[in-house]
Amino acid sequence: MIYLKCSKVIDRISDIIDGQASLFVRMRFYGHLMICKNCRRYFNQFKTVHELAGKVSSDDLPPDFDHVMAFVMDEIEKQDEKKDV
Amino acid sequence: MGGQSRQQQEATAETAQVDALKAGHPSAWRDLLSCYGPSLLNYATRMLGDRGTAEEILQDSLVNIYRTIDRFEGHCSLKSWLYRGVHNRAIDEIRRRKRYVDVGEDGLEKAFDDKGQWKHDCPGWDGFAAKNFDEKRLLTVVGEQMNRLPHAHREVLLMKEVEGLCATEICAALEISPGNPRIRIHRARAALRAAVVGDRL
Ligand SMILES: [Zn+2]
Repeated sequence: MIYLKCSKVIDRISDIIDGQASLFVRMRFYGHLMICKNCRRYFNQFKTVHELAGKVSSDDLPPDFDHVMAFVMDEIEKQDEKKDV
Repeated sequence: MGGQSRQQQEATAETAQVDALKAGHPSAWRDLLSCYGPSLLNYATRMLGDRGTAEEILQDSLVNIYRTIDRFEGHCSLKSWLYRGVHNRAIDEIRRRKRYVDVGEDGLEKAFDDKGQWKHDCPGWDGFAAKNFDEKRLLTVVGEQMNRLPHAHREVLLMKEVEGLCATEICAALEISPGNPRIRIHRARAALRAAVVGDRL
């Protein structure tokens, strides 16, 4: 069974990009992409978006975490005092 | 001596860290918050969609995590446990505000006929993103679309792609069965691709 259906190819993309597919599956997968324009297009879009998603970070969020830290540490210390009483 | 694998060493270090946290050492708590706090805040902000509420939720969850640290038995990593605490509190708040967006019918199957072939051509880049966007602009689109995904997709993508949790950690954080994350991750990625490309699939 060499031929992979398009729907199965699309199902396998995450396994491929996460390195979870066997050599046999990878060969059938990339072999299919060579002959199927739609799967190739879908795969390229999927992979591009996946790679960009990995670059979405806290960059667009201000890194000021200090006041949250101060609040939590205050609460922790208050509770510690209660425990000690 | 010297025979411990890196995993064993990490587990030993984590046990010592948990002991210090359970003993209530402020420095251990400070280290924990410095290490995971900003990522947890990022996660809560992207789940809730607003930074102010996210900070309140995070403060509440962290204080609650402090109160309940004795219950942590090491069945999962400390990181998963922290994410679970913040995630559950965030979801409670989203549901309380009736803002929870559920996942609709999975559209992927609809794209194929009975023989598993594409019914229509896979669309090119249009919609929100265009092929000629430079990477920076496309990255902004991806971030924006991720923040608009249904929560069930967003939580998985944030943990996997943004915060870098492994499948085991995601299972523990979301309390889902070990067989589930592969499919959840794939569907969430597919939903993000569809949103970015502007594909209705
Ligand atoms: Zn195909």
